[in-house]
Amino acid sequence: MTYEPPVTDYDYIVENCTCAFCGCNCDDLDYLVKDNHVVAVRHACRLGASKIMEDMDQRLLVPMVRDENGELKEVDWDTALDKAAEYIANSIRPVFYGWSETSTECMKEGVALGEYIGAVLDNQATICHGPSLQAVQNAGYPIQTLGEVQNRADMIVYSGSNAMNSHPRHMARYAVFCRGYFRQRGRFDRTVVTMDPKFSDTAKCSDKWIGFEQNGDYGFYNAIRAVLRGKELYQDVISGIPKEDIYELAEEMKNAEFGVLFFGLGLTHTLSKQRNIDIAIKMVQDLNRYSKWGLTPMRGHFNVNGFNIFMAFECGFAFGVDYCRGYPRYMMGETNTIDLLVRKEPDCFMVIAADPGAHFPNGANQHLANIPVIQIDIHWGPSTELADVVLPGSFIGVECAGTSYRMDGVPIYMKKAIDKPETCRDDEWIVRELKERVMKLREEPNVAPKYVPNPNAL
Amino acid sequence: MHYANTYLEKPVVPDVKITGEGTTDVLKCMLNTGSDIYQGACKKRGSTLKEEYKNASGTCYMDPRDMAKLGVNNWDTVLVKTDFGEVVVNCAVSRDAPHEGTVFICKGPWANTIVSHDTYCCSDPTYKGIKCTVEKTDRKVLLMADLMRWVYKKYVDEEDDDVVENMESLGELPVYHGRKWEELIDHDL
Repeated sequence: MTYEPPVTDYDYIVENCTCAFCGCNCDDLDYLVKDNHVVAVRHACRLGASKIMEDMDQRLLVPMVRDENGELKEVDWDTALDKAAEYIANSIRPVFYGWSETSTECMKEGVALGEYIGAVLDNQATICHGPSLQAVQNAGYPIQTLGEVQNRADMIVYSGSNAMNSHPRHMARYAVFCRGYFRQRGRFDRTVVTMDPKFSDTAKCSDKWIGFEQNGDYGFYNAIRAVLRGKELYQDVISGIPKEDIYELAEEMKNAEFGVLFFGLGLTHTLSKQRNIDIAIKMVQDLNRYSKWGLTPMRGHFNVNGFNIFMAFECGFAFGVDYCRGYPRYMMGETNTIDLLVRKEPDCFMVIAADPGAHFPNGANQHLANIPVIQIDIHWGPSTELADVVLPGSFIGVECAGTSYRMDGVPIYMKKAIDKPETCRDDEWIVRELKERVMKLREEPNVAPKYVPNPNAL
Repeated sequence: MHYANTYLEKPVVPDVKITGEGTTDVLKCMLNTGSDIYQGACKKRGSTLKEEYKNASGTCYMDPRDMAKLGVNNWDTVLVKTDFGEVVVNCAVSRDAPHEGTVFICKGPWANTIVSHDTYCCSDPTYKGIKCTVEKTDRKVLLMADLMRWVYKKYVDEEDDDVVENMESLGELPVYHGRKWEELIDHDL
């Protein structure tokens, strides 16, 4: 990259905006605005700046519907919303997927629509931290806020997570380089350990790199747990790590004053899936016999945690909630988007603020080619290539205000900085309109049949 | 209008000079997928139709020793095959090398074509640790829109892979039919 002079030609600055990229939700950004466009962003990382100064070439500006030739045609809002409502109202097994890059206010409308029509509501957790949420139900959730990490933590462990690439300000703002009340010297007061089969960019700036072998995470955590419980290791090398190193690491973790384990998709996407997280949580519980330890999943989108918290509050389940029987139901491997699509069950798919075209495996996306797909998004992306109705939304945190939840569960209000393009609408408005139109088309809500006891069972 | 530039045509990778034909035609490897900063910046900006996304996301990062075995240099094209499909991607030296026997493709439509949809009843597909083969090829890496057309064929009548692959490209900008793009918004940015 070549040197670029700083941007000086702007009309005004909007201070203390919240970043709409990752689960760090950095709330100290300054937007430099000219002619109602953000022309530069201060304090943001490369990812945040890039997202906020979006690509206007690919911005969706008008609602579109596929015609009989398979080409997207621009239409007015009424036509597009009616078409989308018709698809939803005529479907038997609709799936509403996404929600992680929109506000909690919009989810409220979404859950009302989902409950009325008997849909499955799911979010991106299903393809990233779903196993973590499952493990939290299995083993517990020893969490702390990022503020505590900043002020207290003297040992930071990144496991299966490349923070330098996917949460670039996490290390700078919350965990490693920042100074805290009890950690006045910042980086010098902290020990950083990265556990990753790859010598990742995060590993390069850590004090210690544990390069266990691929799919070796489960065995490695079990070995640490055994050492923490005073057991002897019989094998010389476990998951590619010599046992002396495991003893040394366990001793170091025991002696930390306040340690935190941050784990990412390296643990959830390998073969042991939620069992990896189970064992990581149990390791943190074991460590708490000696010292204070906590853990936090490195959530990807700025509001992916928000959907899980919101749904858990609304209906008791965090994600993959199925309303088809008239009451919320949740079953791992059954009511999750990927499993539904691979089984070719859904007959209508609504994508809101998500991109299955870019992130679902081929085997799941193949079914999207057979069914109507409704997309609510701000950019023309891979999902637009599969979409039958496209509804242009607005950009939360830049063009529209809303509430989001940080990776540690702290709610943050994201304020509005500029006006949205004239032809776009707020996500919340779009979903509410859809709900009202669907209610007109299908007058009876989807409710559970009255319970009748089986007379033979008496 | 002057604005801060976040575009980058290609990810920055270490230089490498591989000479010779290589010792093998087909290399057996382990495939990992995930995100990196170049892919993230491009995807989240929304520039998914562009050449930039193709280079950021449709690139197979390899250990230089594996590249020598195949006889490929930075930004040559390779064909990656798994049990779930095949896709043509660029290849480049990994910034995280050495990791001989493992290749890394950033998440995106290219990686999706070849990853496993098996969730083992855990909701999460297996995006990492998939057995694959890598071989040298002359085929071109498709742009995002062309790739989606080639893989899913939702809006083309043609069923033959080779015919769809060689169709006219859909280009790097959205296609608007009713009105011209310039009429929709002030396109000064």
